[in-house]
Amino acid sequence: MANILIAEDEMSISNLIKMNLALVGHTCAQAFDGNSALNMANSFHFDLIILDVMLPGISGFDLIPHLNNVPVIFVTAKCGLEDRIRGLRLGADDYITKPFETLELVTRVDVVLRRTKAVSHSFEFDDIKIDFDCKKVFKQGTEVNLRPKEFDLLCALVKNRNLALSREKLLEIVWDYDYEGDTRTVDVHIQKLRKKLDIEERLKTVYKTGYRLEV
Amino acid sequence: MRFWHKTYILTLILFLLCLNTGIMTLAVYTYQKNVETIEASATAEQHYITRSFENDYQSMLNAGGMANPSLLMQSYGNHYESKGISLCFEKDEKTVFSNIKFEYSLSKNSLMQKKIDDVRYIFISTEICNGEYDLVYVKNVSELDSEFKTLMTVYVLTALTVSVFLALCLFFVLKRLSVPLDKLRLTTEKIEKGDFSVRAEEKGKDEFSLLARSFNAMLIKIDEQMRSLEIDAEKKQMLVENMAHELRTPLTSIYGYGEYLEKAASTEEERIIAAKYIVAETARLKKISDILLDTAYVRENRFEYTEVSLGDLVSDTVYRLSRKAEENGVTLVENVTESSVSGDKTLLSMLLYNLTENAIKACKKGGKVKISCAHYQLVVEDDGKGMTPEQLTHITEPFYRTDKSRSRSEGGAGLGLALCKQIAEAHNAVISFESVPEKGTKITVDFTS
Repeated sequence: MANILIAEDEMSISNLIKMNLALVGHTCAQAFDGNSALNMANSFHFDLIILDVMLPGISGFDLIPHLNNVPVIFVTAKCGLEDRIRGLRLGADDYITKPFETLELVTRVDVVLRRTKAVSHSFEFDDIKIDFDCKKVFKQGTEVNLRPKEFDLLCALVKNRNLALSREKLLEIVWDYDYEGDTRTVDVHIQKLRKKLDIEERLKTVYKTGYRLEV
Repeated sequence: MRFWHKTYILTLILFLLCLNTGIMTLAVYTYQKNVETIEASATAEQHYITRSFENDYQSMLNAGGMANPSLLMQSYGNHYESKGISLCFEKDEKTVFSNIKFEYSLSKNSLMQKKIDDVRYIFISTEICNGEYDLVYVKNVSELDSEFKTLMTVYVLTALTVSVFLALCLFFVLKRLSVPLDKLRLTTEKIEKGDFSVRAEEKGKDEFSLLARSFNAMLIKIDEQMRSLEIDAEKKQMLVENMAHELRTPLTSIYGYGEYLEKAASTEEERIIAAKYIVAETARLKKISDILLDTAYVRENRFEYTEVSLGDLVSDTVYRLSRKAEENGVTLVENVTESSVSGDKTLLSMLLYNLTENAIKACKKGGKVKISCAHYQLVVEDDGKGMTPEQLTHITEPFYRTDKSRSRSEGGAGLGLALCKQIAEAHNAVISFESVPEKGTKITVDFTS
């Protein structure tokens, strides 16, 4: 998918971001200080840079004007409104404060990539091809008839693939409401997806957590 | 009502009261004197008339027996009428001659004043010619009244003029005098609105300027106090922010890797990496919490004093840090002259350990850290990167790091020197820092004070 540079001085957090982004199919490079971040950004092509504000050497705020308009998401422990506004005003595409949730990170990265058109229009695994633009799913070349909610559910699972999504989260993403009670709707739709696409092995139930599409 | 209004009104009333009482007393006294003078002259005149009448009457008797005395009386009456004097001769209560044109009643041998038809007269009655006749002398003294009127007019006009003049003068003088007070009031109003930079005017040497002076002194004090409070609040805010930041980093890792373990489709190897990070970051949190607890421990003074050998302290620290120094390629040099101080051994060793560890971190490969003790002093010297004077003022603040971007590659939470300072303070010792950027830093802990 996308090629992402992670500029973060804290090894543990840098690796955390890298591992999570790798799950959903992004390739990541890491820089641990401002100077190497600048060098890498100028030497290679990146679709997105995840930038810590407090980088040794050159701070994230100072770095941003030299990044040739590559989309930037700030990740920082500074949660003050002032810093947020400053970051966004400098041209950052988004702003994530520590500590963050994996899903939040993945979603924000996805949103920024989609806005900058660096996201692919289709996704394939096994004998299944999903066309996001036409909202169609093909299995062995023939179209599978999915209902709109089933398609949305499949998209959510694909975008957060290899990550377990709780029923509540799926309800929130696909059905667009915070609703505690009706998680069975999710179960029913998951069953339908498994049956229609024959992905019992891929679409797993994770114990006490939810569902995960493993690709 | 303003103070100067009150002063004005009260002074004016008092003054007018005194002035007018004075003038009135003077007027009445003058009038009394006039009356006395006029009465005296009337008495003298009456006496004169009596004497000359008695003489004439006697010579008439001597010359030709008893002529009609009323003729003599009439000639006297006529003569004096032109001078505004009326006479009345009585014999045995019966009027022999009178040119008095109005009713009156008067006892014998008396003097009185009376107003008849708005004209004032003086009446004097005496016996003449050895009691043969009674003479009543009546003189028109209306000039007394008119004089009094003129006098009063003059006095009242004077009083009025003086009063008005005084009222005006007093008004302007008091208003002028109250100007500094008014200015002071305006100053306090500005302060009330939050402007502490204003100062009162300190002109002159009267009470107002003295007040202004002490007022300004008070303002300066308050201003200082507020500023120091602001700085304190800022420092506290900074501490909280730094602490939040310092806690957030490990928290983010722990949370993130926990979530990763929970949700991600991961290999065994990845799970182990995640778990290792969780353990390592938890240890870091523990370290921060330990130091915070140590800080609290020192602050509450719960420690035991014993005789601590500084030499042992130095050797012990060098021993504990020798491996770390070796890893960093730094040489540790000790220079001990035996000396001992009274203190808590654990805390003092914590202090020296922290200072030495910082010195090692500040050095490049091949650097040298010298730890020495002599006569109530501990000295840690390094030839590392040093600090600017600006950085020196902040280094004992909790969570402060000399690198603005807070490189944590050297480990530590930025709490070490804050703790050191507290330990030193608990031992009544003074930590002083001398540093030159790129040359090195010298830290002295002095226990002599």
